[in-house]
Amino acid sequence: MPARIATTPIVLKKSSLYLVGTVAVIALTATALTGTTTTDTLPAHSADASAGERIFWAGGCASCHATPVDGKRAKGDDKLLLGGGLELDTPFGVFHVPNISPHVEDGIGDWSMLEFVNAMQHGVSPDSRHYYPSFPYTSYAKMNAEDVMDLRAYLATLPEVAGTTPEHALDFPWSVRRGIGLWKRMNLSADPVFSVDADDDQLLLGRYLVESAGHCGECHTPRDGFGGMMASEWLGGAANPDGKGKVPDITSSGKNVSGWSASDIAYYLESGFTPDFDTVGGTMVAVQENMSKLSADDRAAIAAYLKAVPAAHPTN
Amino acid sequence: MYKTSIRISVLAYALAAATLALAGDDPGHERHELMEGVRDAAKPVGAMLKGEADYDQAVLMTSLETFASAADQLGGLFPDGSEGGEAAPAIWEDRAGFEAAIVQWQEATAAAIEANPATLDDAKPVTGPIFGACKDCHDTYRIEEE
Repeated sequence: MPARIATTPIVLKKSSLYLVGTVAVIALTATALTGTTTTDTLPAHSADASAGERIFWAGGCASCHATPVDGKRAKGDDKLLLGGGLELDTPFGVFHVPNISPHVEDGIGDWSMLEFVNAMQHGVSPDSRHYYPSFPYTSYAKMNAEDVMDLRAYLATLPEVAGTTPEHALDFPWSVRRGIGLWKRMNLSADPVFSVDADDDQLLLGRYLVESAGHCGECHTPRDGFGGMMASEWLGGAANPDGKGKVPDITSSGKNVSGWSASDIAYYLESGFTPDFDTVGGTMVAVQENMSKLSADDRAAIAAYLKAVPAAHPTN
Repeated sequence: MYKTSIRISVLAYALAAATLALAGDDPGHERHELMEGVRDAAKPVGAMLKGEADYDQAVLMTSLETFASAADQLGGLFPDGSEGGEAAPAIWEDRAGFEAAIVQWQEATAAAIEANPATLDDAKPVTGPIFGACKDCHDTYRIEEE
């Protein structure tokens, strides 16, 4: 696989970002950073690195942030070297995935817990800039802050990697970060997408893993005219962010998953084999490898959730 | 009229024969068929590993023999000029790496045959590396068709 793979969603429609950019230029006043976590709202939680390892794999951090090896995606223990460097070549320009290793100068070693939580859940950098939503904070916003804190503790245990990556090279107008502030107002919410029975612990867990940390919707859900994930076609399949083919509908209306049992889905996430005994392909390979690091209970919960989500395209 | 229809029949037959002959010399088709056979052999093994079917040593050994035979044939089905389909360009760009991936499959299969596992618990550790070889090779040397 070439180095220029896009494993995160970069599927904001060009025309819609023009609009967002234009509105942003007009509405300069609407760019204040609102709704961030503060020292008062940060939970009193003693961060646990071993719990954070689970979140690390569920969140797929390595898929983008692990430094490519010989132009190919990192495998095995190289996934723990989070020096960044992957290039996401998109219609908006090139995103250079940054170093999030604990290196103090080049990575995020000197970040406070609060700065980390605000980056993950509000898309705001320590110097108060908006991150582009290629960093899937719209999903991470739905995480429990305690899990984000555990993740931070785990990341701090990983090797320091020296080296910085170039600034994103985006074309105008999406090079104007102010537009992202407006976009966030429309698309950033801590609320779940899909209502589930509050007594069903497995479905609640599955929803949490799929909708928040796992950020499955970022690739599997189509985007509206403003580049937001469409709740009405949640997980209903979308254009592939790396530009080739389509990411499949993984609801019951999708031909890939409709005939699969919950145990088929769980086994696929564990082993990488479909019920037909074909192997996982494309950008899902890295995702499946991450899912294989979770517990059987976590994978079963994801499968239960996917079986419960309504068909995105019931007429198909 | 009669002659014409005979001529057409002969022509159709010749065309069909030519098509069949071509198919026989089509490595892309042959390797596709070979891998389909591997997949069909993997299914009953997968069902046993997943606990959907009772463990049957004879079924496993038959599948392992299918894997071994296919692994021996596969490397010869990617001659120069047969690029395309789901075969990644990496096969031709890094032939040594591709051959090594096949050897990984051959060795894992041979080890499982040698182990001749009597129970599911014996089968799991020796079949795991075979399925791992499938994944590793596909990850690098197979692409998804548009």
